[in-house]
Amino acid sequence: MIVGRLIDYLMAAAHQVARKRMRVFLTALGIAIGVAAVVGTVSLGEGIRYQAVEAIKEQSDLTLIEATADIRGGAIQLITPAKIGELDAIPHVAASSAVVREAYATKRQTYLEVVGVDPGGIGDAIRPKYLKGESLAPGSRQAVLGHDVAETLQRYEGVRLGDTVPILIRRYDEDGMPVDEEVGFTLVGVLQERDDAFDQVMLIDRGVAQELRGGEAAFDGVLIRVDHPDAVFGVVDGIKGLGLTARGAFQQIESVNRLMDVVVLILAFFAGVALIVGALMIVNTMVTSVFERTREIGITMAIGASPADVVYLVLAECLYIGLIGGVIGDLLGVAFSGAINTFGKPFIVAQLGDTFSTFADAEITLITPGLLVLGMAIAIALSLVSGLYPALKASHLNPVTAIRTGV
Amino acid sequence: METIIEAMHLNKAYNDQVTALLDVNFAIGKGEFVALLGRSGSGKSTLLNILGGLDAPTSGEVRIDGRNVDFGDRKALIALRREAIGFIFQSFNLIPALTAQENVEYPLLFNYHEKAARRERAADLLATVGLADRAHHYPREMSGGEQQRVAIARALVGDPLIVLADEPTGNLDSRTRDEIFDLMRRVNRERETTFLIVTHERELGKRTDRTIELLDGSVVS
Repeated sequence: MIVGRLIDYLMAAAHQVARKRMRVFLTALGIAIGVAAVVGTVSLGEGIRYQAVEAIKEQSDLTLIEATADIRGGAIQLITPAKIGELDAIPHVAASSAVVREAYATKRQTYLEVVGVDPGGIGDAIRPKYLKGESLAPGSRQAVLGHDVAETLQRYEGVRLGDTVPILIRRYDEDGMPVDEEVGFTLVGVLQERDDAFDQVMLIDRGVAQELRGGEAAFDGVLIRVDHPDAVFGVVDGIKGLGLTARGAFQQIESVNRLMDVVVLILAFFAGVALIVGALMIVNTMVTSVFERTREIGITMAIGASPADVVYLVLAECLYIGLIGGVIGDLLGVAFSGAINTFGKPFIVAQLGDTFSTFADAEITLITPGLLVLGMAIAIALSLVSGLYPALKASHLNPVTAIRTGV
Repeated sequence: METIIEAMHLNKAYNDQVTALLDVNFAIGKGEFVALLGRSGSGKSTLLNILGGLDAPTSGEVRIDGRNVDFGDRKALIALRREAIGFIFQSFNLIPALTAQENVEYPLLFNYHEKAARRERAADLLATVGLADRAHHYPREMSGGEQQRVAIARALVGDPLIVLADEPTGNLDSRTRDEIFDLMRRVNRERETTFLIVTHERELGKRTDRTIELLDGSVVS
């Protein structure tokens, strides 16, 4: 019934639109240029976002997430065995392993970030690849070094595979005076370069770390391996839902997204200024159109149309302008986006320098279906909003005077 | 005879100064074919607009089909125009963008009829006014007489009780004028639709059931 009414209005409006094809086309072009500007600039923003995110995915271990304890509502959410069970139950979690985090210093005051891991369970979570040596033996004072920290220790302290890494652990005696205890870890392996935080850490056995800490059984975090890159943000939400904090390479993507959201919004805003011009053109066209048809509107009301009917008839005409403007705008936007890609890319790549050389081979603009739908929606919404004033003006005409004095 | 239009003590003043209607009283029976005579400025059009719910009287009452018209109730006035009244104008006033068929269908659009029913009804009425073959012509492609026939079909499409015609033959030559007049008379007889026709031509008045004459806003005969 309602659809039928809508079709009726659209059919009636179609006759009016068909009579003034040129005027409708030119007005729609005004909106189309605005939409094209928005689609083109947003496609550039989205393209750069896409390339940046792809680069992060390629360069980092995206599917590795660490869930850590967090303070929520004044209470610390500890990593308990029950919590680990809940984490494992999150869909797309392929493997998990609880860890203990410590900060040690060597005898020569080299700061070491230490992760106590379960040598049996850690393999699936962080998928270590060894440059040299092998993995930890459970329960022993052995260490595996990340790539960068291994290089540092070798250069400044001469520690090589098979050597002992001397660690000072600071304790306090009964009088509160600091006492350093020396503990030696045998270096049994060095990891390959990963381009993430594991390049900077020393891995030791989890049980040993807890023992050195004074026998506490608590964990500081859980390393989680997600089964697919696309599932990462879902798992992150799951972790946050449990009251824990999630950290990992995905945070870089979050930062890129946050930055690009702002950039795209600002670009779209300036491009959108053209839309204001387009909207004013519609207001102008429709006010003229209503004025020209004053008598016709009066007759329409005399033969039974309510003011609401008149509003819908005028808005139906605007809908056509919006539809035409949206389609042309999307097409122009795609063309605009292609032009940025062809002519703008060499310039942008030259300005960004070698760091972004990956852009040179890729499309720097990205047109998504969503973007085209957005362009269409903007055109339609804007034309309906612009039509509101002329439509209300038309509906307030007095039929008697409209018929007598109308042109 | 059953009374279908009743005007009681109708007064209409513009800006509290110009008096258009002064204590107008009359009644029209169902199926009557009545001419409303008077010179220009005598208040004929004003009276017609009030009867059709397009304008409100300053005071007085109108009864259509036994019911008081509430001029303050916009919805009721719209319903009155949709259901009880058909308008015919001097200058035809068809919608230029629509074909004859679509012009006749047009009022039904606001009466929320199904499309198929609208089409059928409009086609019937175009046949009644003798324009079945012109259904898909636009107003600009038709003569004045043909346009007025389309307008008559449009006025009848909602099956109104009353057709109010404002100088329907005013823009036509004498031969076409007679055709249109005869057509309205025929519709009046066949369908028992009440007609109130505003005209300033006395001669036409003689061919109606009766005349109501206005002079300076008052009924003189």
